[in-house]
Amino acid sequence: MGGDRTIRETLRGWAFLAPLAVFILGFVFVPVAGTFIDSLHREVTFLPRAFIGLGNYRSLSSDPWFWQSLRFTVLFVLVSVPLELVLGMAFALLLHRPSRARGALRACVLLPWAVPAAVSGRVFELVCNFQYGPANYIAERLGLTVGPVNWLGSAWGAFFALVAGDTWKTAPFVAVLFLAGLSAIPGDLYRQAAVDRAGPLQRFTRITLPLLRPVVVVALLFRTIDALRVFDLVFVLTRGGPGGSTTSLSLYGYDAFAGGDVGYGSAVSVVLFLVAFALSAAYVRIGRFGRGLS
Amino acid sequence: MNGEGRTRLPYLAAAAAMTAYCIGPIVFMALTAVSRRPDFLSPGAGLEFTAAHFLEVLRTKSLHFLEYFRNSLVVSAVSAALSVSVAAPAAYAITRLEVPGRTAVLFSALAVSMFPQVSLVGYLFRLMTSLGWINTYAALVLPYTAWILPLSLWILTSYFSSVPRDLDRAALIDGCGPLEALRKVIVPVAAPGIFSTALLAFIFAFNELLFALMLTTDHHARTIPVGVALFEGLHGEIPWGAVMAAATLSTAPVVALTLLFQRRIIQGLTRGAVKE
Amino acid sequence: MNLDFRNVAKTFPSFRGAVPAVRDANFSVGDGELFILLGPSGCGKSTILNLAVGLERPTSGEIRFDGEIVASRERGIFVPPGKRNVAMVFQGYALYPHLNVRENIAFPLRVAGEAREEIDRSVARTASMLGIEELLRSRPSELSGGQRQRVAIARALVRKPRLFLLDEPLSNLDAALRAATRAELRRLQRALGVTTLYVTHDQTEAMTLGDRIALLRDGRILQTGTPRDLYEKPETPFAASFIGPYPMNLLKAVLEEEGGVRFVRLGAERLPLPPDRVPGERRPGSRNVLFGIRPEHVRAVPESPEPAPRGIVTAVEHLGRETVVTADIGGASLLAVAGEGTWKEGDIARLEIPMEFSHVFPEGDDPS
Ligand SMILES: Nc1ncnc2c1ncn2[C@@H]1O[C@H](COP(=O)(O)OP(=O)(O)OP(=O)(O)O)[C@@H](O)[C@H]1O
Ligand SMILES: [Mg+2]
Repeated sequence: MGGDRTIRETLRGWAFLAPLAVFILGFVFVPVAGTFIDSLHREVTFLPRAFIGLGNYRSLSSDPWFWQSLRFTVLFVLVSVPLELVLGMAFALLLHRPSRARGALRACVLLPWAVPAAVSGRVFELVCNFQYGPANYIAERLGLTVGPVNWLGSAWGAFFALVAGDTWKTAPFVAVLFLAGLSAIPGDLYRQAAVDRAGPLQRFTRITLPLLRPVVVVALLFRTIDALRVFDLVFVLTRGGPGGSTTSLSLYGYDAFAGGDVGYGSAVSVVLFLVAFALSAAYVRIGRFGRGLS
Repeated sequence: MNGEGRTRLPYLAAAAAMTAYCIGPIVFMALTAVSRRPDFLSPGAGLEFTAAHFLEVLRTKSLHFLEYFRNSLVVSAVSAALSVSVAAPAAYAITRLEVPGRTAVLFSALAVSMFPQVSLVGYLFRLMTSLGWINTYAALVLPYTAWILPLSLWILTSYFSSVPRDLDRAALIDGCGPLEALRKVIVPVAAPGIFSTALLAFIFAFNELLFALMLTTDHHARTIPVGVALFEGLHGEIPWGAVMAAATLSTAPVVALTLLFQRRIIQGLTRGAVKE
Repeated sequence: MNLDFRNVAKTFPSFRGAVPAVRDANFSVGDGELFILLGPSGCGKSTILNLAVGLERPTSGEIRFDGEIVASRERGIFVPPGKRNVAMVFQGYALYPHLNVRENIAFPLRVAGEAREEIDRSVARTASMLGIEELLRSRPSELSGGQRQRVAIARALVRKPRLFLLDEPLSNLDAALRAATRAELRRLQRALGVTTLYVTHDQTEAMTLGDRIALLRDGRILQTGTPRDLYEKPETPFAASFIGPYPMNLLKAVLEEEGGVRFVRLGAERLPLPPDRVPGERRPGSRNVLFGIRPEHVRAVPESPEPAPRGIVTAVEHLGRETVVTADIGGASLLAVAGEGTWKEGDIARLEIPMEFSHVFPEGDDPS
C-alpha cells in the first residue's frame, strides 16, 4: 500500500510498535544512557553522588588492571574468533554431506550451543582441575606433559581453558549458520564446476567461500561482538584469575559494580560499549549489511 | 559414487571426532554426576554409579536448588512469552503496515543486540534498587524481555514476511481489523515460526547469567545459572559430584528442548542471518 | 449495487519516483453487471480492483458505492475494506492454510459475529451451491487447484457481498477446467445477481464472460463497452489487436478520395471504403492511415472476380478447424483465416477483403 495514507493509520502503525519501543527504550536505551551519565559521576556506595566529569576515565587510563583486562579481551577475541570460524566451517562441511545420520549429527552439534555458559564453565573448570581433571590424564597420555599441570593456575593455561570453553560452546552455532549458507548454494553450481573439472579444493575456494561470504560476515560480526563482551564463561571458569590475568572488560566492569563503585564500573562499560559499537559499525560498513535484509 | 567410497572412511572418522568433541563434555558432566568419585577417568579409578549427588542436590534445603529451578522456569517462560507477544505486533507493523520509520526500528533493534550487557547492568541495578524490585521476578523479567526482543523481532519479521500478503488482505476484506488479521490469520499461519522464536527466547533467558547475578540476591528470585556458578563446597573442597549433578539437572531442560525441536531451533537461528 | 469510479488516479511512490498505476479512471458498473477489466500485464488492473475493495486508497478522484462515496482523498473519506461488504477471490486463492474448508468459508461470518446456527446454514447453502459439501473437513493443502478455487469462491459469496471482485481467478487452472469454471462462474453470478468486477488479461475470458469490458493500457482505460462493441468497433489499433481470436491485421495504407468515394490503396489495388468506415472529419486529398481487417474476415482464394490484393503465401498453419494463411502483399504481411483451397508456401493468393468489416485508424497510433 503506497502513500496516500492518513495520519490515523500512521499512528496505528506506531501503536503496534509502541510496546516494543517502550521495552527497548526503558530497559536498554535508558540504562545505557544512565551508564554513560553514571560514568561521569562519583557513584560509590555510602558516598554522596557527585559529578566528576571525566574523572573516572582519567583513573581508568592510569589503571594497570584496566589495561590488562583490555589486553586480555582483545587477545581473547583475536584467538577464539578465528578458531571458532575455522572449526565451525569444518563442522558445517561435515554436516552438509548427505548421510543417514545427518539429523542426529546436527542435533549433537547443536547441544553445546544450548548448554548454559555457567554450566559449561563449571564443566571446563573440572576438566582442567589439577587433581581430578581429565585434561591432565589426556595430556599425559598423549605425551604432551609430564606430571599434573595446574592449568587454571597459570595465565596461559587459564587463557587456553577459556578459549577451549568458548570454542566448544560457539563453534556449533557458527556451524549452524554456515550450514544454512551452504544449503542455500544451488547444487547445480557444483555439478557445473565438476563438469568444468574443478577439484574439491577449487570448488571450495571458487564457489563455496565466495557465495558464503555474506554468512561469514554475519558470523564474524556476531562472534566478535560476543567474544568482546564475554562474561559468563570467564566469571565461572577462571573468575578472572590467576592474578587478574583473564579478567575481561565485562568482568572488570562487573567487579567494580559488585564492589560498589558504580561510577567506575560504568566508565569501564562505556569503553566496552564504544569498542563494540565501533567494531559493529566497521563491519556493517565493510559487509554492506542490510542489502536485501528488509 | 567412486569418489564417495574413497572419502567415506575419513568422513566417518571426522564425523565421529566432531560428535565426540560436541557431546564429550556433556557426557563427562553427566557421568561425573553419577560417579562416586570425580576422577573416574584417572588410571586405576573406575566408574562406580551412585545417585547420591542428585539426591544431595535435590534434598539439601540450604542449596535451594529446586527454588532456583522454579525461578528459572518462571522467569524464562514469562520473558519468552512477553517478548514474543510484544515483538509480534511490531513485526506485523514492520512487514505489513509500511509505517514510516519501520526500518529504523528494525535496525535499532539489531544494534541493541550488539550492546554489551555490562553496559546496562549497573544502571539496572540502581533502577531496581530504587524501585525496591531487587530480588523479584520483575527485576529479571523486564530486562530479559527487552534483552531478547531484538532477536524475537528479527526472527518474527523474517517469518511474517514469508506469509503471503494476500492472506491478510483477504482477512481485511473479510472484515478483520489489523489486530484481528494478525491474531486470526498471521499468527496461526506463522505459528511454527512463533514457536521457534519463543523457544529461542526461552533458551536465551534460561541461560542468562549477568543480569541474574546483579539483580537477585537469594533463592527468592535467583536463577539456575547463578546457582550453578556460585555452587561452592561448605568446607573449601568443591563437591564436584554435586556440582555436576546440579549442572546436569539445569542443562536437562534446554538439552531436551534442543533435541526435540532441533529443526525449529536451527531454522530460527539462521533466519535473518541467511537470505532464503 | 452500482460501482462508480470518477477521475480516479493512483500513484505509487517508489525509488524511481512516482509510478502512475492508474490514471483518470472513469467507469461505472451497474447493478448485477459483470464488468471486466482487461489489459496486458502491469496495466493497472489489480490496482483498480484494490482501489474498489479498499486495499489501496486513491491518490485523487472518488469511488462510490450506490452513489455514496467510499473513498476520496479530497474529502478525507475512506471506508476500510472490512466495512465495505465486498468479497474478493485472489489469483492464488489466499485460503487460510490453518483452517479447514468449513472454517475458511465461515471465516467472514465469524468475524462479523453471526450466530452459530446462522453460520452453519450459510456455509451449508454456499457449499452445496458450489458442490463442495464433501470437502468441508479437508484442509486447503489437501485440495486440487480447481477445488481450492471453488472454496475461495464460496468464501467470497457466503455473506452475500454487495460487490464481488475476482483477480485473474482462472489463471492457475488448466485449460479444460478453466472453460468449465468460466461457465459456472457466469451461471453463479447471474443466479446471485451480484455486481462483479473481474480482472483478466485473457481476451477470450473477457469476451465470453463479460457484460461489459474496460480495456486498459498503461493505467488508462482506452475503451469501455460490450464484448461485441469492442470486437466490432475498436477505437484504437491497440484494442483492435488485443481483442479477438487473432490480432487484427493492421497495414499502413493511403486513404484516397475520388468523386466523393474513398479508397484505400493496398499494394496495387484500390479498395472502396463504405462511407460509415471513415473516422474523423472528411478531409479532401490523400492521407496516411492504418488499415485494419480481422484475419477471420479475410479470405484467401485462388482467383477472385473482385478487386482483391495479390499476395505470396509465406506461411501456412493448419489449426484443425481452420487454416491460417500468412501472405505478403507488397512488403506487408496479412493473415487470412477464411478461404478455400489448399495452400503451400510460395503460392500466389488473392486476398478478398470485405470492406464492410474494415477499420481505418489515423496513422501514428501505434498498436504495440
Ligand atoms: N505497491 C506498489 N508499489 C509500487 N508500484 C506498484 C505497486 N503495486 C503496483 N505497482 C505498479 O503499478 C503498475 C500496475 O500494477 P498492477 O498490479 O495493477 O498491474 P496488473 O494490471 O494487475 O498486472 P498483472 O496482470 O501483471 O497482475 C505496475 O507498474 C506496478 O509495478
Ligand atoms: Mg494483477
